[in-house]
Parts: sequence; C-alpha cells; structure tokens
Amino acid sequence: MAAISVYGADTAPPKGRRWELLAELWQDKAATAGLVAVLVVVLASIFAPLVAPHDPAAQDIIARMDPPFWMEGGSTTHLLGTDHLGRDILSRVIYGGRASLLIAAAVVLVAGGFGTMLGLLAGYRGGRTDSVIMRIVDAQVALPGLLLILLVISAVGPGITTLIIVLAIANWMIYARVVRSVVLGVREMEYIEAAEILGCKPGRIMFLHILPNLISPLMTLAILEFTNIILAEAALSFLGLGVQPPATSWGLDVASGKNYIFVAWWVVAFPGLAIAITVLSISLFANWLRVTTDPQEREKRFARGQAGALRRAAEAKRSAA
Amino acid sequence: MTKFLLHRLWQGFIVVIVVTTVVFVITRLVGNPVDMALPLSATDAQRAEFARQTGLDRPIFEQFVTFVGEAVSLQFGDSLWQRRPAMAIFWEVLPNTLILLLAGIGGAIVASLFLGIFAAVRPGGLLDRAVTTVALVGLSLPQFWVGLMLIMFFAVIMKVLPTSGMGGPAYLVMPALTLALPSLARLTMLVRSSMIDELNKQYVKTARVKGMSQSSILFRHALRNILVPFLTLCGWELTYGLAGFTVVVESVFAWPGLGYTAMQAIQRNDPFLLQAIVICISFIIVIFNIGLDVLFKLIDPRIKIG
Amino acid sequence: MKLNRFLLGAVGMGLLLASTSFSNAQDITIALSAEPSTLDPQAREDGAERAVSDNIYETLMQRLPDGELVPGLAAELPVQIDPTTWEFKLRDGITFHNGEAFNAHAVVASIQRVIDPAFNSEQLAYFGTISGAQAVDDLTVRITTTGPDPMLPSRMYWMKMLPASYVTDPAVAEVPVGTGPYKFVSWQRGSEIQLEANADYWGGKVCVQNATMRFVGEPGTRLSGLLAGELDLIVNLLPEFVSSVPKAVAVEGLETPVIILATDTGVTAIPEVRRALNLAIDREAIAESIFGGYADPAQGQLVNPAAFGFNKDLPFYEYDPEAARKLVEDAGATGKTITLLGQSGRWLKDREMLEAVAAYWGETGLTVNVEIEEWGQFLSRLFSKDVRPDSVLVVNSNELLDASRETTFAYQAGSGAASNSDAELAAWINEAVAEIDPEQRAALYAKITAYANERDYLVPLVNIEDIYGLSERLDWNPRRDAKLMIREMKLSGC
Repeated sequence: MAAISVYGADTAPPKGRRWELLAELWQDKAATAGLVAVLVVVLASIFAPLVAPHDPAAQDIIARMDPPFWMEGGSTTHLLGTDHLGRDILSRVIYGGRASLLIAAAVVLVAGGFGTMLGLLAGYRGGRTDSVIMRIVDAQVALPGLLLILLVISAVGPGITTLIIVLAIANWMIYARVVRSVVLGVREMEYIEAAEILGCKPGRIMFLHILPNLISPLMTLAILEFTNIILAEAALSFLGLGVQPPATSWGLDVASGKNYIFVAWWVVAFPGLAIAITVLSISLFANWLRVTTDPQEREKRFARGQAGALRRAAEAKRSAA
Repeated sequence: MTKFLLHRLWQGFIVVIVVTTVVFVITRLVGNPVDMALPLSATDAQRAEFARQTGLDRPIFEQFVTFVGEAVSLQFGDSLWQRRPAMAIFWEVLPNTLILLLAGIGGAIVASLFLGIFAAVRPGGLLDRAVTTVALVGLSLPQFWVGLMLIMFFAVIMKVLPTSGMGGPAYLVMPALTLALPSLARLTMLVRSSMIDELNKQYVKTARVKGMSQSSILFRHALRNILVPFLTLCGWELTYGLAGFTVVVESVFAWPGLGYTAMQAIQRNDPFLLQAIVICISFIIVIFNIGLDVLFKLIDPRIKIG
Repeated sequence: MKLNRFLLGAVGMGLLLASTSFSNAQDITIALSAEPSTLDPQAREDGAERAVSDNIYETLMQRLPDGELVPGLAAELPVQIDPTTWEFKLRDGITFHNGEAFNAHAVVASIQRVIDPAFNSEQLAYFGTISGAQAVDDLTVRITTTGPDPMLPSRMYWMKMLPASYVTDPAVAEVPVGTGPYKFVSWQRGSEIQLEANADYWGGKVCVQNATMRFVGEPGTRLSGLLAGELDLIVNLLPEFVSSVPKAVAVEGLETPVIILATDTGVTAIPEVRRALNLAIDREAIAESIFGGYADPAQGQLVNPAAFGFNKDLPFYEYDPEAARKLVEDAGATGKTITLLGQSGRWLKDREMLEAVAAYWGETGLTVNVEIEEWGQFLSRLFSKDVRPDSVLVVNSNELLDASRETTFAYQAGSGAASNSDAELAAWINEAVAEIDPEQRAALYAKITAYANERDYLVPLVNIEDIYGLSERLDWNPRRDAKLMIREMKLSGC
C-alpha cells in the first residue's frame, strides 16, 4: 500500500483509442504477460468444473503424495501430483482460486463501496462531517489491525463470511482517504460550482459530476488492494482462521500441506506459487494501468522511451565506430 | 506544540477507549470464555464454578466496569494457560517481537536506502530493472510460503541454519529475512521513485554543472529531501509489524514473540491472555504513533498532522 | 560490488554461527509438541509438564517399561495394614537436588499439598480417594483412604514427591527440585528447558549428561529439526514421516477417535441407521492409509485396550458396505442428511478421518454434511444439552487407563458429550464409579460397553499408536505410558 498518487480530471481515454491502448500494452511485455496470466487464472476459476481434471475433494488413498508427472513415480493422471489425502493438486489449485478471488473481490467491493461513500461524503460536505469521518479513519488506522482480526475470528469462529466482513472493516479507510482528496480537488472546479449555482441537488452533483472523476484512481487502487486482500486471505487461511475445510483456498492448502513439505514439497509449492503468480501478474498489469491513466506518468514514460532510444542509438554508433 | 501534543494525546485516548470496548464486546458478548477455557470433559458444576471465580457470572455492565479498570491499571488477571499474570507473559515476549522487528524492518530500512538510491541513479538500467523486479516479486510472495521454502532450503537441505525457535543469532536470520522481504520491497520502491523525481529537479542539474560529486549529490542533498516520506513509511512499517503482522512469520518459525503467543492463546483457549496482548499492543501503538508525529513535527514544522 | 561482499559476509556469518551449534556426544535435544504451562508437578494435567517433571521428580512407586509396578522411592511394596490404611517404607539416603533429605516428612507434605481442596489441583482425579498421610518414623509413612482402595499403590505412581520445605514456595512453579536422575538448569520461556544429569542419583549412572527439551508445535517443523540434525528425539511423529526419519519407534497409545451419535434426534435416532454407520466404515483401511498402519481398529468400544474396564470379549466391528446400504434403504433413510461435526488440526489426522468417514457414510446413500467449526463454537455444540449434532468426531485420550473416563465422557446420558438419554445405562455407570471391588467393577464395565455396542451409541474408530522419531545415534524403546524417561535413553557413545 505505497503512496497512491491522486490525479484530477477525467483521464479515461475516449472509446476510439481502444486499439491504440492495446498496442500500447503490447509494448510493455511484462504487463501483457500479467494481463494474460490474470485472465487465465480468472477463467480457470470461473470454469473450474470444466477445466479441472479431477474432483478437488476426491481422495485416493492409494495415490497419496504422488509427485508431479516429471518426477520419478509421478504420472500424467495427476499432473502436479497429489496431496496427503491423495487429492489432485492441479484441480485443487484451480478450485482454490475460486475462493481466493471471490473473497478478494467481495472485500474490495464492500470495503471500496463503503470507503467511497464516506470519502465522497467527507470531501463534499466538508466541515464537521469531514472531520468526524476522517477522525474515524485515523483512529482505525491506529488500531492493532491483525490482532483485532485474530480476536474477532477466535470469538466468532472462522468462515468465509466472517473473513469478508473482517477484512472489509479493516481495509475501507484507504478508499475514503483517496476519494476524499480527489473530491476536494474536483470540488473547486468551475463546472461543479456552475452546477451548484444552477441548483443541482447535492446527490446529483456527487454521483453525476464527481463520481466519474473517481473511476480511474479507484480502479487502480482497487486492483492494488485486490492483491493485498489475496495475500491477507491466504495468510489468515494459513493460520487456520480463514477459509475452513472442506472448502478450499490456496492459503488453506499451504497450511494443510505444510507438515508434509519435507517429504512432498509439491503439496506446498504449487498453491503458494499460484498465489505468487496471481498477485505478481495483477501488480504488473496494475502498474502499467496506473502509468497509462496518469498523464504525468505517461509523459515520463514517453520521455524515458525517447532517452533510451537515443542512448541505444548512440551506443550503436559508438560500437560501430 | 503543547496544543498539538494535547490534541494527539486526546486522540490516542479515544483510540484506547475504542479498543477496550471492542475487545470487551468481542470476548464477552460474541464469544463465551467459559466454554473456550475449560477442557472437554468439564462438568456443568465446574463450568459454573469457573464462571464464579473469573467473575463471568456477574451482570454484563459490572463486568465491563471491572474490565475497564483492569485495562487502565494494566492488570489483566492470570493467563488460563500458564496460570500466571497475563502481563508477565506479555512483558516476557514483547522483547522477542521487538528484536525480530528491529532486525527485519531495521535491516530492510538500511538496505532499501542503498538499493533504492543505486537503482535511481540510472532508471531503466540493469541494476534498476533487477531491483524493481525483485521488489515486485518480493511483494507478491506470501510470507508464510517464503518462510517454509527458506526452512526447507537452508535448514533441511543445506543444514546451515536452525529450523525454528529462538536461540543464538543464527536463529534470527531466516525469520528476519522473511519479515523484511515485503517491507524491503515497499521501501526500496519508495526510495527509488522519490529519488528519481528528486534527481530530475533543476537544483541537481545545477549542482552537476557546478561539478559537485555524485555521492555528495545523492547522499547530502537528494537524500535529505526524500527523508520525510521515507521516514513516514518506515514508521508505518514498524507500526504494521507491531500491530500483529509479525504473527505469520512468528508462527512459521515458532519465534516466541507476541504474534506467536497470541496464536498460542487462541489455540489453548486462553481469552484472557489474548485480550491482554491486544489491548497492551494498542497502547504501545498509540504511544509510538504520537512519538512519531512529534518527531516529524520537530524535523519539519510545516507538516500538518491529524 | 559492495552489495555482493555484504551478502557473502552475511552468509559466511550464518555458516559460522550454525557450526557452533553442533551437539556434544553425551547431550541430546528432545522436541516436545508443546511448552509446559508450569513446572509445578502437582498442579496441572499437562502432558508437556509431565514430560519434563518425570525426569526431575520421582514417585513412591514406579513402572518398568513393560508396565510392571515396582517400588521407586519406596523401599519395598506397600502393605495394607487395615482396609483404609497403606504403609510405605522409604528408601534411605536419598537427597533432593537442593540437598534436603528425602524422608517421611517430604512424603506427608507432598500428599497433603496435592489433596488440599484449596490447592485445586487438576490431578485430584487421580488422588480423590486419599484422605491423609502420617509419618510413623523418619522412613515410614501411612496413607489413609476414604474407603478401601485397591488402586492406591498404582495411584502413588502418579504422585511426585517434593522437598518438605518447598511445598509452599511459589518458586516450585518455575524451578523444580526433585530426587530424580536429572536436575533442572534453566527454562527459556517460549523455547526450551535445559536439564543436566544428577551425579548423586541413587539409581546409578545415566548415559545422557545434558538434555535440552525444545517446544516445537508443528509436526513438520519437528521433522525438519530431526532431519537437520538439531534434534535427537521428536514426539508425535506423523505416520507418513516414518520412512523419512533416521529411526522411528512406536508403541500403543492412549488416544481413540470416536464419533458420538445423537440417539434421540435426526436420522441417527433410527437404530438400523446407527448400525449402518458402524458397518459402513472400513477401520482397517483407516488404520492402514491414514495412520500408515500405526493404529488398530477399535474393538467395539471406546475404552482403551490397556485400560481397566476394557471388554476384551466384544467383537471387532465388521466392514460391510452392502449391508449398511441395505439397512439405510430399509429404514427409508436414503437421501436423508446426516451432519458430521468435527475439528481440523486439533487432533492427529482429525480432518482426514472426517473426510474418510464422510466418504464411507456417503456410500450408504445418506447425504453427509461435514461441518468443521472453530473450537469455541465446536465446544458449545458438543456440550449443548438442547440440540445435539447428529454426529460429532472427538478424540478421547485416557492417561488414567481406566474406563471411568470414557464412560462418563461419551456413554453416560446428561454428562460430558454423551448424546443418548438412556437412564439405565447412566445408572450403571454411576454404580461402576462407586464400586470398589475390582472384579465387580470390571463386570459392570463389561455390561456397559456391551450394551452400548449393541445399540450403536458410538462409532469408535481406531486406537492410535504413538510414534517417535529418533536420530541415528539415539537408542530408546518408548513406554506404554508415554513417559519420556531420559535415563532410559542410550547414545551410541556410551
């Protein structure tokens, strides 16, 4: 959650530039790879029953801890091997993505929605409303976040709903902050003032005139937060306080496999890699997106590209000489 | 300054009140400490007796008053698990977490300065790309997974480091490294990007033209200007670690710190120890944050906080 | 580059530090699965505390590894001088680690301490019949009981003897002082306890000179420590790891996983369905595949085979999925839902057993709904007197080796986690607890277990064996009572 740059007016490209945008993405190989990987993970999760070679819960007592197919003793029946109960790891990784992505999406929606509401309110109304809301934000930032989460879960009992609620409560503040600062910037603009003079209702102004300005920064923030939630969900599930068996998630699979890591590393390695690859891919794409939607950053990227080209040309000339 | 300090103290006080209330509501109203604490085979008479001994049979408001009194005087009664004052356990494990935080986050802070600055000298260069890639990967790897992989490689295969627990300095290496990784990545990225911005400013160009040496530009001038955002993030990393985010690393390496003890308290059904840890840690975080704000105010009086 | 040199330095330092931790030829490191909650040997019912105290403190009676009861601190077997009084002669010339003499005063003080109601010892269950103790002379003690108690000598195998001057000292919770073969050195909270050999031990020389007991909660971490050469003995080795460790030894254990069925509600109210639930489970396969062969199918009851009250005449459960299916069908229960409540990660293989049982039960045509609840929630449902879960899997452990524990916990209506409302059975159990004649008692337990077996109140699964992992240089045979006696351990150097 590094500092998020906040940008002003509408920066979304007009519709006609879609292809141009894709071409621009293609220039950034890492971001392209990221996007492709994210799409693969999302599609595999959605169509898990079609994609997964086995039932992720089906135990095979004879085939326990079979290694991946390329190792001695492995077979193509279980491409990534089996876990300590003889369940197919590839299928579990595919299904595990469902829980992880679903929880992350739900948390981002709930926390983002709530945070945006309060941020809008604080920024638009200002004054007392603003100071009360921001005081709550400040106070919650100072709470011992994870310890409180542990306390709640140990009292209420773990589960997917608990997890979503707890993570949303712990993560809405950043949206409120970002939204508030954007709103504060936009509020001063002439067209808002014009709308106010024309007698538009505050609700109409907020949703019709201010909200569009938030889409681009909120998108970037939500995507970054999404990766944080995936990691948080995995950590809590790993600690035994998140998703509970027989449901599955990547973090839970690492937890239930961790005792076997020294006799069957693949039980732990693949779910862990799934988390890492998903988060990394999203970050790569989000990074590109952030730069693309920010005119200042775009300029810098352009300048850097020019400078690099000049340098390469100079170097080529030198080595030719 | 006095007004500012009073204001911050008042805010801190509110936070403390909120935490105490939240902890009370969660442990007494949502959960049932009697069931949590007693063994499977306890009889109903034993349950009633336990409730009587711990005051859990009193009216809820009376319990709340007692609870606030306990929190204010930092007397939380005995841990059910170890049958000694929960505070004694807290003070015993707190230094272990601080050691881990200092080694991990402290190491990350120092290393990030060097990595970030060297990467910023030639943006897009080999070192920059290497640092950026490693940082991105570092932020993407789940900590518990990194820890397990480190144990497998360094302890079991190479046999150069102990697997887990606390002992000599060798025991600190892997937990600190695992804890440091995401912080190192975040800090390095911050140093790098603010340094790049800084180095593009006019005064740096002027200094170069005047023949000032590279190291003098980097460490004397540019570094001073990025100090405030850097220290802010450093403070945030430490707070974050204190707020229980060492729990994963401590669990993986059985490092007997606060997070590990909190997990033990959950597993051993010791709600009294857990609530003592949560409340005391929030006290510490509040004090630490006030200290940080004061520090920033001293560094740069223009900063507006709160 | 500077960075490279720095990294090299760090790795080099790590190597140097690690190399200093090589163990001495006569020192061992043992991994316990938990940290003791106290080192007071009389306060808690805590396996980790016992593992440490067993090496520091001693008892009047002791057991040989095969289970035979022999005099320990007592000079000879005790005599029953009247129905409620036992006389113990004590060994002469034994001193505690603090130099104090072991004598009748120490015994009396230790007994009075543990039976004092104000002390509220969790071990009172072992000593409930003892009413007092008097010193006859310096080396003779008489112990009185509330009624005739034939089990008193074996009870004295559980009561650890403290120095007379030490029983009121609060330090006893942290600095144990016994007569045993090992002396306490240090307790580093959160990581380890150090012991050293007692050079003046009356029982002769021991092989292991220094012992470190580390607390390692995770089975995987214990294994890695053993593989890395840091540890010499690890407890609770997972069956899968047996082939990976240098040496593994096993002994029949104290734990029995059991499923308690609600006999009044849901589909489990139908006796035929309960029978089917027992018939549907392949216990051999569970023992073989989940426990790697380190478990034995339960013999028709929850009582541990080594416990007093075990009914050896009960048949083993049959595995007959066809018959189970038919029973469910005939009862008209096909397609009905049965809830199976359980835990994950609290007991050895709990989750695996849940899933295996759910699969077996699914074969009968029932719909199995596995619910894994967080501990607090689980407990309140387990003990709820109003709404019983259809079925709930718990693991029963019997340190006392007496059927009274299992029967009150799982068989007796209205007590513990029992799920039936059978008043007749409950009355027999009360009778058995009060019965003092061992033969009468055994007969009562035989009746109880057979009766419950016939009605399928419970689905006991397997009796689990305890597995220990040993380093190459260590030789040791585990004990039936699961005690970790360091003096019985031999290193290849001595």
